[in-house]
Amino acid sequence: MIVQRFMGRHGTAQLMAGIAVGIAAAIIVPDVPGIGDGLGLRTVTVALIYSLAGVAAAVLYGRLGLVSIMQVALVAVGGWATLRLHYLTGLPFEVVMVLAAVLTAVIGTVLSLPALRLSGLSLAIVTLMIAGALEVITQYFGFPNGGHGFAGYDTTGVAQTMPRPWLGHSDPAFFRYVVVVVLVVMVALWCVLSARPGRTWAAIRQGDAGAIASGINVTAYRILALAVTSAVTGLAGALLAANSGVLDPISFKAQQSVLLFATVLIGGAFSLFGAVIAGLLFYAFPQLLTSWGVNGNLVFVVLGLGTVQAITTTPTGIAGQLGGLWQVVRRRLSKKSEAHR
Amino acid sequence: MTQLSISGLTVRYGGVTPLDSVSLCFDSGVCGVIGPNGAGKTTMFNVLSGFSVPAAGSVELDGRQLLRVAPHRRARLGVRRSFQQEQVIRTLTVRENVLLAAEHSGAPAASVERALTYVGLEDAHRKGSELTVLERRLVEIARCVVGTPRLVLLDEPAAGLDPEESAHLLELITGIPDEVDALVLLVDHDMDLVRAACKEVAVLDFGRLIAFGRTRDVLASAQVRRAYLGVTEDAE
Amino acid sequence: MNLLPFIIAGLVIGSVYALSGVGVLVLYRTTGVLNFAHGAIGGLSAMLAWQAMQLRLLPGVAIGFSIVVGAVVAYLFGLVAGPYLARIDELRKAVTTLGFALVLLGVMLYCWNDKARTMQLPTSRIAFSIGDGDRWYARINLTQLLCLALAVLVVVATGLALRYTSTGSAMRALASDRELAAVLGTRVRVVESLAWVLSGAIGAASGVVVADQTRLEPAFLTFLIIPELAAVVIGRFRSLSITLLAGLGVGVGQSLVSSQENLTAFSTAVPFLLATLFIVLTSGRRVVSIGVVRE
Repeated sequence: MIVQRFMGRHGTAQLMAGIAVGIAAAIIVPDVPGIGDGLGLRTVTVALIYSLAGVAAAVLYGRLGLVSIMQVALVAVGGWATLRLHYLTGLPFEVVMVLAAVLTAVIGTVLSLPALRLSGLSLAIVTLMIAGALEVITQYFGFPNGGHGFAGYDTTGVAQTMPRPWLGHSDPAFFRYVVVVVLVVMVALWCVLSARPGRTWAAIRQGDAGAIASGINVTAYRILALAVTSAVTGLAGALLAANSGVLDPISFKAQQSVLLFATVLIGGAFSLFGAVIAGLLFYAFPQLLTSWGVNGNLVFVVLGLGTVQAITTTPTGIAGQLGGLWQVVRRRLSKKSEAHR
Repeated sequence: MTQLSISGLTVRYGGVTPLDSVSLCFDSGVCGVIGPNGAGKTTMFNVLSGFSVPAAGSVELDGRQLLRVAPHRRARLGVRRSFQQEQVIRTLTVRENVLLAAEHSGAPAASVERALTYVGLEDAHRKGSELTVLERRLVEIARCVVGTPRLVLLDEPAAGLDPEESAHLLELITGIPDEVDALVLLVDHDMDLVRAACKEVAVLDFGRLIAFGRTRDVLASAQVRRAYLGVTEDAE
Repeated sequence: MNLLPFIIAGLVIGSVYALSGVGVLVLYRTTGVLNFAHGAIGGLSAMLAWQAMQLRLLPGVAIGFSIVVGAVVAYLFGLVAGPYLARIDELRKAVTTLGFALVLLGVMLYCWNDKARTMQLPTSRIAFSIGDGDRWYARINLTQLLCLALAVLVVVATGLALRYTSTGSAMRALASDRELAAVLGTRVRVVESLAWVLSGAIGAASGVVVADQTRLEPAFLTFLIIPELAAVVIGRFRSLSITLLAGLGVGVGQSLVSSQENLTAFSTAVPFLLATLFIVLTSGRRVVSIGVVRE
């Protein structure tokens, strides 16, 4: 009876399933031959990290109807903050990670705020501008490597790298560390989405006028969404920095933000699972193509076409398609079991 | 007892004056606001709920200057509004829709049950997208009565309903003042609904108030019938 | 410091931004589509013009060919995607063009890889000196002059055409109410196609000029959409003249910032800063209802 009521809360069953799959993956994947070792494991790890940035874009788009094309730029901000704080304070990685997330939340919110008051289209444009600006700024400042000054970048001497967190030194251990962080974030987001903020965001998406009439401070809740999603993206930046100990500006070009947004649309912007697919599409898929000897630039074409298709015909993305398929299967199975009775 | 005082309310934009020096006083009960299209009824609602800023005039709700309060804060003061186009959130369940209204107007969560019982929507787990037109209208009423509303603005609440459904809704609307002691302002074009529900009615025409008083008297006045009901002396 | 060369360069680049901004604006006002692929179309045309010149085609022919291709590509996209785009809100329309931009960028990178090339139009070899000798002088070449002239010409012509020709009125009618315009007998599809062709041609021309002025690199040219959109945002998606001025302003702003040694990197932040500054200064206190993606 209690279990039934608990499961009745829509999505709880899916959440449980997701957590179970995540834990299983954490345990099994590093031992799977082909994927679980060397480059394969590192690829999957980074793909999962980017799925955090993806989930941020997905929540903004799927739940609030906001287009934010700067998530990878915010990943750069989070990564920069992590490295800088590490060399500045020497605090344990977990603390630095949280601080970097907070900093990214502040920056992401402040930068987007003016455009938010103008129009949704303006926000999309302004976030693209931010991505463009940060591309060049990260190239100019570089990422901290133990040097002096505000930028902490030392071009001359020995470049240091940030060590991995204590619990995640080896590749398999770090993979599990990342899985745990991703699971924690997804569960936290699910809780937020099922509670008042999620309901309020749904009301805002339905219509500003109705929301205001219900007593909702629309701007405040949009700020909240920006802050939460930017913080999550900052976490991704921190993990990315921890992964290799150093970051390269080349990973944070404006086109990366556009590509990530595309993968979120294709993977499915309405479910947390879709964000995981997005991360894989964003990072693992191009590596896969390259290993098959296919020209990496075709990724742009595939993702571009995928975006057009996702917008015009399959708005719920791959995750939505899979979900629909699962429903069909479930119905067939329950029909069969009824026929047998 | 709710008291609403509107004094010299004027709205101007783009060379048009949708409301022109309107002054009215209401107490608890159901009061109608009628008039031909473009008379300023929705504009008045917009001013009361904060979507329009008047060029002149003041509004006092229970002694409180309403116009100084930000639109989204008026819900906490007890102002509730429904729109012509219903705003039930499709992705949330019935209960979540009403809970949201409760949360943002400062009402306790317990009042959600009371509101749902009042409108007769006990099966509250269905999503907004699964409801019929009548059920969505009921959800809107529930959202308006949750907690302690003082002023309920209903803009054509029966739009899209057949006569039987309208009658059901009518009962609920007339019951609101007894249920929560609020003032209900009702805008509608259905004269039978207005006659049956409202004890008093205000008539607007071209932004001006042309009549206000007991429903029976107002609707019988020649001036009103000419302006709104289109009935001329000759046709009588 | 002699800032005149930077101001000139800024005006020239700015005029391209303005020109492109107008192209984007006309398309947006007519079809509701904010074309994020505008820069990519310019890039494609620039690459084609360069390739054609490598194949020994006359520069004039090469440029003409590339502009035609740009216009055709835009037209085809409008034709194929048009019915789908008509049914969705403007935010999703814009995102669709973002996908289109990715496709074009991918095609460009596939065909020509991302090596930075240079393209010099023959008109760039003819140069003039302006200003007085000592502290305030610069050289300006024919391409730059033509570019400035073209930008002003196109903006003025577009403004006049929109106001005084029947097609222009049709475009404005569509901009204000598509369905009503259709009911009134406007041949919606024809006018929309015209908008796509015009927008594509403008994009192509801008791309070729910009590639000559700066560099011929697919990704760089594609993301020139950013300063171009800044002009459109500042023009509030409405005013041609403000878009023109805003484009010039962004160009000069970027150029002046890059003239200061320790600020060069921030010149790419100028579109964002100007657009944000403008937004902050002009949006008053009002109940804001913004467009979001709704099903």
